[in-house]
Amino acid sequence: MSANATKIADAVKDTIYRSCLLLDDEKWGDFLELCEEDFQYAIKAYSPEIKYDMTYFRGDRKELKTMLDMLPKHNTDHSPLKRHVTVYTVDVDEDGKTATAVTSLVVYQNMLDGINSHVDAGENHLFLIGKYIDKFRMENGRAKFFEREVRLDTRRLDKGTHWVI
Amino acid sequence: MPARNHKQWIATPPLKSDEWVDSRIYTDPDIFEEELEKIFKKTWIPLCHESELSEPFDFRTFTIAREPIIVTRAPDNKVRAFLNVCPHRGNMIERRPSGSFLEGEPSGTPKNMTCMFHAWQFDMKGNCVHISREKEGYQDRIRKEDQGLRRLRCEVQFGGFVWVCLDDNMSQSVEDWAAGCFDCIREAIETEPLEVFHYHKAIINCNYKLWHDTNSEFYHDYMHYHNRITGFNDEYFARKNVVFDNGHVNVNTFEVKYDEYEGFESRAELSFPTFPPNQWYMIDMFPGMNFNLRGSALRADTVTPLAADKVMIEFRGLGLKSDTPEERMIRVNHHNSIWGPFGRNLHEDLIGVTGQGSAMQTGSDVRRILHGRREDNLIHDEVGMRHFYKEWGKWMNRMPSDPMKKYMAAAE
Ligand code: FES
Ligand SMILES: [Fe+2]
Repeated sequence: MSANATKIADAVKDTIYRSCLLLDDEKWGDFLELCEEDFQYAIKAYSPEIKYDMTYFRGDRKELKTMLDMLPKHNTDHSPLKRHVTVYTVDVDEDGKTATAVTSLVVYQNMLDGINSHVDAGENHLFLIGKYIDKFRMENGRAKFFEREVRLDTRRLDKGTHWVI
Repeated sequence: MPARNHKQWIATPPLKSDEWVDSRIYTDPDIFEEELEKIFKKTWIPLCHESELSEPFDFRTFTIAREPIIVTRAPDNKVRAFLNVCPHRGNMIERRPSGSFLEGEPSGTPKNMTCMFHAWQFDMKGNCVHISREKEGYQDRIRKEDQGLRRLRCEVQFGGFVWVCLDDNMSQSVEDWAAGCFDCIREAIETEPLEVFHYHKAIINCNYKLWHDTNSEFYHDYMHYHNRITGFNDEYFARKNVVFDNGHVNVNTFEVKYDEYEGFESRAELSFPTFPPNQWYMIDMFPGMNFNLRGSALRADTVTPLAADKVMIEFRGLGLKSDTPEERMIRVNHHNSIWGPFGRNLHEDLIGVTGQGSAMQTGSDVRRILHGRREDNLIHDEVGMRHFYKEWGKWMNRMPSDPMKKYMAAAE
């Protein structure tokens, strides 16, 4: 990898790891700051049960913002979701302006509500596993998301969530 | 009334006996076992949609009341169901949730189901076609001609859903069993073939009936911001609950104002065939299945009760098989923005029943669970649940409000 490509790959990793901290802390607005205006987000999973490549959720930046701003009006499980990720690959495009990264993703639910919070609060459950498949555009040495696909393996999602994964 | 002492708390509510239930029907393990025997092994249960096994030799596997079931599509294109149990030594024949028998199993041959244990083989009609070293071991005492699978009653009905009944003596067809409850959406779902585009499951620590209750009552729209803002107008409050024989219920339609919810759009453009724009019909079928058509997308929930306080719910979304990729994408979005695992309403519904399950665990003190709202069968009238529990009482021969007593119709 050229020196420039290495620099870009580092910037990409930095954005991914930073975004996870922001999402873990439910700082939705700050997460969206890492996304381009034309950002597209989707949660997808292949179902061997119905043999179909499913889209569980999708939205652009504006739609995500509207949805996240409306969260206070909805009843949502209070248990925080915590991500553990490892960036597996970063491929920098030839022009050095865009890059694609594949990141292994595990999300734990740090129970607060649980089933019976007296018993469950403080416990951790594995919530889902999958990958982030992200596309970035470079801007002043920083990598910004213009696409994120959350590719799930999990299809048993129990209560689900209102939050961005 | 001020907070109540124990005696006041467990007192009989000032309602008729069919307007409330005793929470032991949600928590008692013996009642649960009896429900599997008396209800789930006796009635028609929808298992999947035919598009999940679209080609000959495709299969799907399920369980009803702990009985393993395999559904196959044979070369004659007919969908059939069998117990997924080998007549030899009781092994589960197929372990995967879905697939195709076109390819042979490691110990078998293509186009047959093979029990991997001792390699007995069966065709798509359930005939036993191969017993390994048959003559040598059994001479003529056991012959493959007599070792077919256990076949089950199976029908494809109402827009392509696959229904199975474990009781050979069930006197009604699926059509009879539904007793007209599909009429409201029948044209919309039967004018052209449908296709499943969504599947996910939830295992929730609550009784299966609590999920069905939530699907049957609309009073809980108070917990859905989306439904309050897009509904809660005169037309909404004029919706009627309609009851059908066998414990089934419809919730009649009104025009949903999707664009009242910021970021959402009208679904008029992609309405199912012959279905007026943005209408919403709900079919709740005894003993716990739900079909829900919101204009552009059909949702179907099936429950698999796992214990008195545990249920698996499978969620499916369906569109038209003829959808273009663009149409399909919009339909999927319409479905999942509300009903997907990351949608606005489903999460709230599931939090609700989890809370009920958690507050009514096996062994917890008896609670009185009310469904006594009467509003001329209008949307917040709880007639749907009353109708369901009347049916439940008959099948179980137990009084929902006093389950240790035999069933008796409530005095009118
Ligand atoms: S148990 Fe199936 S072949 Fe023996
Ligand atoms: Fe609901």
